Amino acid sequence: MLLETIRLALRSVRRNVLRSFLTLLGIVIGVAAVIAMLTIGSGTTAKVRSDISALGSNLLTVRSGRPPTPGQPPVRSNRPLEDKDVTALRAHLLGARAISGASQKTVTVVSGTESLSVSVTGSDTGYFDARNLAVIDGRLYSDAEIRSGANVCLVGETVRQQFFGSASPLGSTIRVGRMSCDIIGLLEPKGYTGFGQDQDNVVMMPLTTFQRRIAGNRNIETIYVAADDATPTSELQTRIEDIIRDTRRITADKEDDFNVRDMTQIADAMASATSTMTGMLSAVAGVSLLVGGIGIMNIMLVSVTERTREIGIRLAIGAHEKHILIQFLVEATVLSVLGGLIGIAIGLALAGAASLALSIPFAPSLAVVLMAVGFSALIGMVFGFFPALRGARLDPIEALRHE
Amino acid sequence: MAEAPLISFEKVWKTYGEGEARVHALAGVDMSIERGDFVAIMGPSGSGKSTSMNIVGCLDAPTKGRYGFLGIDAGRLDRTRRAILRNLHIGFVFQGYNLLPRTTAAENVELPLIYRGMASGERRKLAMQALGEVGLEGREHHTPAELSGGQQQRVAIARAIVTRPTLLVADEPTGNLDTARSHEIMELMTRLNADYGLTIVMVTHEPDIAAYARRTIAFRDGQIASDTLRAEAA
Ligand SMILES: Nc1ncnc2c1ncn2[C@@H]1O[C@H](COP(=O)(O)OP(=O)(O)O)[C@@H](O)[C@H]1O
Ligand SMILES: [Mg+2]
Repeated sequence: MLLETIRLALRSVRRNVLRSFLTLLGIVIGVAAVIAMLTIGSGTTAKVRSDISALGSNLLTVRSGRPPTPGQPPVRSNRPLEDKDVTALRAHLLGARAISGASQKTVTVVSGTESLSVSVTGSDTGYFDARNLAVIDGRLYSDAEIRSGANVCLVGETVRQQFFGSASPLGSTIRVGRMSCDIIGLLEPKGYTGFGQDQDNVVMMPLTTFQRRIAGNRNIETIYVAADDATPTSELQTRIEDIIRDTRRITADKEDDFNVRDMTQIADAMASATSTMTGMLSAVAGVSLLVGGIGIMNIMLVSVTERTREIGIRLAIGAHEKHILIQFLVEATVLSVLGGLIGIAIGLALAGAASLALSIPFAPSLAVVLMAVGFSALIGMVFGFFPALRGARLDPIEALRHE
Repeated sequence: MAEAPLISFEKVWKTYGEGEARVHALAGVDMSIERGDFVAIMGPSGSGKSTSMNIVGCLDAPTKGRYGFLGIDAGRLDRTRRAILRNLHIGFVFQGYNLLPRTTAAENVELPLIYRGMASGERRKLAMQALGEVGLEGREHHTPAELSGGQQQRVAIARAIVTRPTLLVADEPTGNLDTARSHEIMELMTRLNADYGLTIVMVTHEPDIAAYARRTIAFRDGQIASDTLRAEAA
C-alpha cells in the first residue's frame, strides 16, 4: 500500500515537472549548501590537522619577538635566540622528547646548469625527532660534522627530481648559495601543506654550517621542543618561558621578548574557526530549507485544491481520512526527498570541485548524506501535514460537487 | 419475523442553514427499500432527491430521525465507520462519471479495492472481470479522455460493482448521455439487478428512464409525494 502510494506520488510529481522543480528549488539549494559546506569543512579540517601533525605532534616553537597580542601587529625583537638558549633548555627543561635549534632561509641551489630556489634549513639532529622527519636513503649528519661545520647536506624529493631525475643524489655535490656541499642523504617525501607549500623542496645541513656559510651570523631562528607523551604542552610551555626568561635575564617587571607557540593549539584554533564558519553557513542553509518547506506547503495546498474532486471520489468509494492524509503526506515527502537528493548531488559536486581547486581531501560523509535525506523527508512531512490534513478532512459531498 | 429491509427511513429530516435561511431538504421522510429492489427517485429540482441519495449512500447523516442500513443505525456512525460501510456495501454512479483523469480504466476500477488492502494482482483480476461485465474488454488501458461518455459511465459502473456491493446508488446516471446511450446504460443496470440481485436506487428526471425501475418514489418539497410499483410488477 505504501509502495503504491509512493508510485502515485511520483506520478503526480512527474505530471508537473516544472512546477515541482521550482517548488523544490529552496530545498535543493539548502541541502546543496549544507552538503557542500560540511564536506568542504571536514576536508579542510582533516587537511589542517594532518599538516599540523606532519610538523610533529605535541610540538612547541620558540621564536624571538613579543608574543602577538590580538589586534596589534607582531613585534620583531632585535634580540635573536642564541646557542645558550638551546643549551639552557637542554640542561634544565623536563618533559621534552626532543629539543632543537634551527634556522631557515630561501636560497638558490645550483647543480650543473640547473638551478632551483629552495628552503634551506640548518639544524642539529634533534630537529629530525622534533619534526618527525626521516631519512630514506643515506644518513644524517654526525655530531662531529655538526661541531666542525662540515659541508654536507640532505635533500628533499623535489630537489632530487630537479637535479638528478630518478637517480640517487648521494655522493653528488650541489651549490647552496655560495658554498658547495656533499649530499649525504635523501629525506622522506611529505607532499604539500594545506597552504600549497612544497615540503619536499628543502635542503638540510648542520646548523653550524648554515650559520657560517649561509646566514653569516650565530643566530637561531626557531627552537623546536617536542613534548614527551606524559607532559601536557601547556605545562611545557610555562617551563620553557621560565628558562628562557632566565637565560635572557628578563626581570619580572619586563615582558617576554620571545614567544612560545603550541602547534596543537594552532590546529585546534583553525579547526574551530572552520567549524564556526560551517555553523554560520549552515544557519543560512537552514533558512533556505525553511523557505523550501514553505514552498512545499504552498504547492501541496494547491495540489489539494486542484484535486478536491479526486479526494471526493476516493472518500465516496471508501477511503478513510487517514488514507487521504497519508497519500498527500507521502506526496509531500517524496517531493522534498527528491529535492534533497538533487541537492545532495549538487552539493557533493560542488565539494568535489572545491577539493580539487583547494587541494584538500574530498571527504564526503555517509552520515551527513543520510542526515540530509532524513531531514528533507522531515521537512516534507512537517510542511505537508497541514495541506494533507485539509484534504483528509474534506466533506465527500462538498468535494464531489467541486468543479 | 420478516428480514429487516435493506434501507429504512424513519421520520428523516435534513435541515440546512440557520434561522431565516433554514431549509428543510427532507421533512420527515418515511420509506423502506427491500434487498434486490430497483427504485427510481423522481421529483422537481430542489425536492430533496440528492439529499436522500446522500443519506442512502451513507455519505451524509440525517439531522433528525433514523436511517437504517442493513439493520444498522447508519445515521449515527462516525466518518470512518461510514467509509467502511460504503467500501463494503455501496457502489456509486454519478451524473458526471467522476473518474480519475489521466488514470486508466483498469486503475479507476481497482480504486475501491485498494482501500480494502487487496494485493495488486487480485485487484487487477477483479477489475478486468468487472470491465468485462460492462462490455469494455479491450479498453482497460484507456484513460477517460480516450473514452466516450457512455464508455466512461460503464467504467464508473464497473468501479461501483467491482466490490460486489449490496447497493448501487446512482444520481442521474444518464443525465449526460444521449437517448441511445442512456438506454444501453439502463439495460446494463437492469441486467445487474436481475443477475446479481443488486439493489439499485437511482435518481432520474426522465420518465422513460424511470420506467426501467420496478418502483418509483416521487419527492416534493422534501417529502414523498407518491410511491408506485410498475404496472406489470404490481
Ligand atoms: N449543502 C447544502 N446547503 C444548503 N442547502 C442545501 C444543501 N444541499 C441541498 N440544499 C437544499 O436542499 C434542498 C434539496 O436539495 P437536493 O436534495 O439537492 O434537491 P434535488 O436533488 O432534488 O434537486 C434544496 O432546496 C437545496 O437548495
Ligand atoms: Mg440533485
